[in-house]
Amino acid sequence: MSTEALDGGLVGSASGAENGWLARNGLLRRLLRDRVAALAAAVLGIIVLAAVFAPWIAPYDPYFTDLTKVMQAPSALHWFGTDNTGRDILSRVLYGTRNTLVLGLVGVIVGGAIGGVLGIFAAYYRRLGGWIMRLVDIMLAFPAILIGLALAAIFGAGLFAVIIALVIATVPDVARVARGAAVSVMGQEFMEAGRAVGVSDSALIWRYLTLNCISTIFVFLTLRFGQIILIGSVLGFLGMGAQPPAAELGMMAAQGRDFLFMAPHIATIPSFAIFVIVLCANLLGDAFRDVLDPRLQT
Amino acid sequence: MSEAPVLEVSGLVKHFPVARGVLRRKLIGVVRAVEDVTFEIARGETLALVGESGCGKSTTGRLVLRLMNPTSGSIRFKGEEIAGLDKDAMRRMRRHLQIIFQDPYASLNPRMTVGDILSEPLNVHKIGDTASRASRVRELLDVVGLQAEHAARYPHQFSGGQRQRIGIARALAANPDLMVCDEPVSALDVSIQAQIVNLLQNLQQRFGLSYLFIAHDLAVVKHISDRVAVMYLGKLVEIADKKTIYARPLHPYTQALMAAIPKTDPGLRTKREMLQGDVPNPFNPPSGCRFHTRCPHAQARCSAEEPALREAAKGHRVACHFFETLPPPVIIARSGPPQGKFAERLAAFEAAKQRQAAKI
Repeated sequence: MSTEALDGGLVGSASGAENGWLARNGLLRRLLRDRVAALAAAVLGIIVLAAVFAPWIAPYDPYFTDLTKVMQAPSALHWFGTDNTGRDILSRVLYGTRNTLVLGLVGVIVGGAIGGVLGIFAAYYRRLGGWIMRLVDIMLAFPAILIGLALAAIFGAGLFAVIIALVIATVPDVARVARGAAVSVMGQEFMEAGRAVGVSDSALIWRYLTLNCISTIFVFLTLRFGQIILIGSVLGFLGMGAQPPAAELGMMAAQGRDFLFMAPHIATIPSFAIFVIVLCANLLGDAFRDVLDPRLQT
Repeated sequence: MSEAPVLEVSGLVKHFPVARGVLRRKLIGVVRAVEDVTFEIARGETLALVGESGCGKSTTGRLVLRLMNPTSGSIRFKGEEIAGLDKDAMRRMRRHLQIIFQDPYASLNPRMTVGDILSEPLNVHKIGDTASRASRVRELLDVVGLQAEHAARYPHQFSGGQRQRIGIARALAANPDLMVCDEPVSALDVSIQAQIVNLLQNLQQRFGLSYLFIAHDLAVVKHISDRVAVMYLGKLVEIADKKTIYARPLHPYTQALMAAIPKTDPGLRTKREMLQGDVPNPFNPPSGCRFHTRCPHAQARCSAEEPALREAAKGHRVACHFFETLPPPVIIARSGPPQGKFAERLAAFEAAKQRQAAKI
């Protein structure tokens, strides 16, 4: 016990200086010790930066058509070549990544928030729980693509319809995962201890329940991010999403499909961008799961 | 004792409904977890609640704190009825009634620092300001034998015994009058158990606490309690002060419990009536006396008529029809004089004991 106290003194002072649950276990440090995860994080970071600063980085106007330079193969002038109307594909990929990332992020954040709240409430208020989960089951029964098609029919195709479809697709899964995590936390004695002390329901839900299952939800959402982008791209591919001339990776792949034999780069380059984003998101999600799993902590 | 008891529980009942069916849930019965339990605890007193696992002693502890709502019965804290208090009034009342949990690994929120955990009761009940709360946390850590700098650490950085001390400090934070100790030492190893039990006794003397000490370890109970209540299948079968119940248990179930305590003298041979079978299911308890299925002295009346808790002596109540006529519990007989090496060792031990006694 004496050595423990000595060691613990250092640990204690270090963790006292840092704040927040992410910093507590040196989470980032442990995450980056995993080389694959570090690489994925770096690539994703570059992609996000490129998307954010697209207007400054893009060498050409993504909407400017130059019919004298149609379907050119990648060259020094146009790194990714040009498409069937002579637009610069590099510029369009940068702008398209922007739209695609926004789709994924909004889907994951809004869907995750709604789903997380539903799941946690379902676990905390048992009477409400049955009803919430039946509602979630109903949502689970509709494939996201079907909802997207229906919404596009109602509101007209566009990014808004896709975002709603993605949110609806995310909510039930997150709600199930959140409820599962929250139910196991509810069974722990510290919840009862909080009640015995006299902590109010709202504080119990937030500081006791949510903080203890947020890492599970977070990991699920990181893994889900890739899937959401994929679904968004599929909807774009089917013509439900962003409308031309706007750039969106899925839609760009769909447009390039017609010229697959003449100019394969028009379809494959946006597809490859989707592939890289989804792969990085999934690798990062896996790494987060390993790092945040309390059973793997020492 | 002239003062009003800190806690008076009378006729406490807890039934858990059991429902079956998916769409139309039908009530198919109730689990009678706690049935008509009555006791009181005076200021500064320790009442131990003992019994087999599943007999309803933990449920009783949680009912007293209204962590569960009783089906019926009255719980009076310092004369004030708390069984019917609404949620907010009960929340305000909680600062006077606290609980120490069995499992020190599960009872502390892993996302809060020890300082946050200890100041939680003060925040909730709006006691003091930020500075006085911080000094109270340091004081609490000192009281339970931890150091002030431990406040910045998280629970997972502590050992089981240290965590149990944190749990005790949290319970103490708002200066309660009554603490329910729900098997506070059964998850700890023996050397730590002794530390925690001694700590609880010190705190009782310092702060005049009353304990409802739920346990199944009769050796610990004998050490810490003033009075002992024995539960069987949701009912109180015997309640008396410690000396009486250990020296002369009247209920056959208590006798069986006492006979199961390991003896320190291997030469002693007690005629032991081992209890047969398991505790019956509280969903469908036996008729009449709930103990009659396992009682070595059961008679026809026992399965027909439920025995009331009757006064055997002052402060000694027993729920048995025949406690006056039962044979005295144990006939202690030596199995002949000890022999060989064992006799030598025993003699050496006795001599050492004599010397020790002479010194004091």
